[in-house]
Amino acid sequence: MSESILETKSLSKAFGGLVALDKVDLAVEAGKITAIIGPNGAGKTTLFNLVTGVYPASDGEILFQGTPLKDTPPHRRAALGIARTFQNVLLFGNMTVLENIMTGQHPRSRYGFLGAALRLPRAHREEETISLNAMKYLNMVGLGTYATQNALSLPLGQQKLLAIARALATEPQLLLLDEPGAGLNKLEKQELSDLIRRIRENGISVILVEHDMPLVMGLAEWVVVLDSGQKIAEGTAAQIQKDQRVIAAYLGEEVE
Amino acid sequence: MSADQFVQYLVSGLTMGSIYALIGLGFTIIYAVTRIINFAQGEFVMLGGMLSFYLISAAGIPLAPALILSVLIAAAIGAIMYIFAIRTARRASVVSLIIITIGAAIFIRGIAGVGWGVEHVRPPYFTGSESISLLGAYIHPQALWIIGTTLVVVVLLHLFLSYTMVGKALKACAISPVAAGMVGINPRAMALIAFALAAAIGGIGGVVMAPSISMDFNDGFKLGLMGFVAASIGGFKSPIATVIGGLTLGIVVSLAVGVDWGPFTSAYKDAIAMMVLLLILIIRSGRLSAEERES
Amino acid sequence: MLARLKGKWTYFVIAALLLFLILIPFRWFLGQYTVIMIFIGLFTMVTVGLCLLLGYTGQVSLGQAAFYGTGAYISAVLSKICGVNPWLSMLIAAAATGAFAYVIGYPIFRLRGNYLAVATLGLGVIVYILLRQLGPGGPDGMAGIPYLSIGGFVFDTSFKRYFLVWFFCLAVLLISQNIVRSRTGRALRAIHGSEAAAESIGINVDQFKVKIFVLSAVYASLAGSLLAHQMSHISPGSFGPLVSVIIIVMAVIGGLASIWGAIFGAATVCILKYELLLGFGEWDIVIYGLILMLVTIFMPEGLFVRLRELFGQWRLRYAQRGAEP
Repeated sequence: MSESILETKSLSKAFGGLVALDKVDLAVEAGKITAIIGPNGAGKTTLFNLVTGVYPASDGEILFQGTPLKDTPPHRRAALGIARTFQNVLLFGNMTVLENIMTGQHPRSRYGFLGAALRLPRAHREEETISLNAMKYLNMVGLGTYATQNALSLPLGQQKLLAIARALATEPQLLLLDEPGAGLNKLEKQELSDLIRRIRENGISVILVEHDMPLVMGLAEWVVVLDSGQKIAEGTAAQIQKDQRVIAAYLGEEVE
Repeated sequence: MSADQFVQYLVSGLTMGSIYALIGLGFTIIYAVTRIINFAQGEFVMLGGMLSFYLISAAGIPLAPALILSVLIAAAIGAIMYIFAIRTARRASVVSLIIITIGAAIFIRGIAGVGWGVEHVRPPYFTGSESISLLGAYIHPQALWIIGTTLVVVVLLHLFLSYTMVGKALKACAISPVAAGMVGINPRAMALIAFALAAAIGGIGGVVMAPSISMDFNDGFKLGLMGFVAASIGGFKSPIATVIGGLTLGIVVSLAVGVDWGPFTSAYKDAIAMMVLLLILIIRSGRLSAEERES
Repeated sequence: MLARLKGKWTYFVIAALLLFLILIPFRWFLGQYTVIMIFIGLFTMVTVGLCLLLGYTGQVSLGQAAFYGTGAYISAVLSKICGVNPWLSMLIAAAATGAFAYVIGYPIFRLRGNYLAVATLGLGVIVYILLRQLGPGGPDGMAGIPYLSIGGFVFDTSFKRYFLVWFFCLAVLLISQNIVRSRTGRALRAIHGSEAAAESIGINVDQFKVKIFVLSAVYASLAGSLLAHQMSHISPGSFGPLVSVIIIVMAVIGGLASIWGAIFGAATVCILKYELLLGFGEWDIVIYGLILMLVTIFMPEGLFVRLRELFGQWRLRYAQRGAEP
């Protein structure tokens, strides 16, 4: 088995008395597409928030490329190579499409206030690289023609692609996608699958949280199932589809 | 400091604290129902005090009706402010609402300055000016009026919120506007009531305090700030918590100014209150910013 | 085609405005407005700082006058009482004010929205009281502050000081514009857009907030120092909480997220206050209050920005009509 890009050891999170994540052990293989599925409230987004450092874990640890991420703040984790998208997209509505992606280049550039204020040559050089890279990611998600439009003027499907491009612009090793397929039509989902495969081909490991089973089963090389904060199963798509506990968990939700 | 002095400062702290509590109640009510900090809250206090003076001295209206009329006018202006400045700004951001209420505040202050001029006014005491001796301290009758009025207002407010339909609806709105909307409560009507009620309570504060401290059109800002401190000590939670906040602030400020600490003269009163405010805000910043993130 | 037209227009407009700015203080032109123009320049500097903080980064400060005041007082005390060179005083004042903003910035920016607004307001009140109580001269302020000079050239007339102030003002505007159009500017706007998303792409949200707060404080401090060294008299009244509100009025008129709008905002308020409404009592506050409410409700992007948009639309329509046969 090849090395893990992300590992969690007995990772737990409680909000007040409510346990959102309960001693979850994960080992995400590098260079693969991993899906995390589970009914609503299973703790999937909580897991993302812990990995990206939005809030601290109550217990357990997270290792990224073998290094523990104990008190690393979110912006440092992005610089280390963890990128994410959000369920509610969260684009920068006060910017154009291209600027959104350029902002994603933040951790890969360094000039600061002084360079900006005085327009130092270094700032110029970096800006050129930033624009070029941003155009690259813009074209990669197929939004090239909308570069100068306001980000929120795009329809939801394209907004979600833009959010992925913004995350890619941070040049991550690991990309966390939180329900990328939600609210998309069939065609858009097809484009999304293609894009995620291309991302993987570029050597980026992908973890996606998704409810759309056909999408997950078509993409994921490894599937982890969470229910009520616990990992109840993992395996290949084929194995998971036959797993009795998984079926029970999902049936349980249907009855609700 | 002797025991007598201590009691004296305690009494004056309680008196000022009651005023801060009344002002703070307005902040708490509006914030609970609408999540807006009304920067114009202090102006209603100023309006109450100034109106009572001019209704009594210029219009010659007898004391009791003049006081009631002042409070009603303040309440009406609160309602007008909601209808014209807040309700028209639909879906405005927090920052926009801050700016709008500041705009309303200086607008009201400016109109008061234009209309009434810059001089300080002092309406007559409600009852006499002979101080009463109590536990070695002297209490002015007006101070008793202030403390008593605060008590009555809090009790009435509590009864109103607990036992009337409108009061319960306000409470429901404070807990969750969305859920309140689903059971048929109109959040905008509740917001209107909250603004009018807050302005009325602010007006009551102004009316009872004006005879003790003379007032001018500029005083709303400072009083509003003190009320805000009271409300934040109470955590913007309940009327009772706000009153406790107000009394605490009054006593802290009164003692801090009263104690002879060299550099601390009464001029630093407001600075001390602001320090208390900053400390409380920063200590609670974790919870407060989570709250602001949600809304 | 349209872009080139726009480019030409821009250069033409900039050149004309610069020429206008240079000619203003001459007696045969608009010399009688020199002093007002100096105030407009100073307030523009303070307002631009607030625009960066409020309009671009989305963080409220109701206490900007405090930094304007510390700049003025530190500069005045150092140069008048300690005999420090005025330029050096100005520099020390800016550094000290910046350091002050940095130290209080970290705890204060753990707050958001409403609470941040009130905390900065409280800060403004504290500084104002301290200036009144501890500042030399108390509420009356201090007089006899030395003028700035270069070699033997003393900035002792309004005519000379006009150029000094507007040199600083334009420098601050240019620097601000460069910042806005940079990596840093994008990071600031990202924070305004969504703090969670900004963090997720590697932006150190807290640090950027504090840094831009410090920059706005330094701008205000420089303006305060310039004020002190040219009025040769300052008093705490010029730095009270109401002044912080007036700075918000200027920013709102100019457009919160508009660098050059700050001039327009500062000019509107100064002309209202010192020309049109001089001697009309409290009418100026009434009008500020109305402006704050009306502009925020009906044109949240700012009066200046809205006017510019309307002008742009008009020009486009005009150009199209010209292009049609």
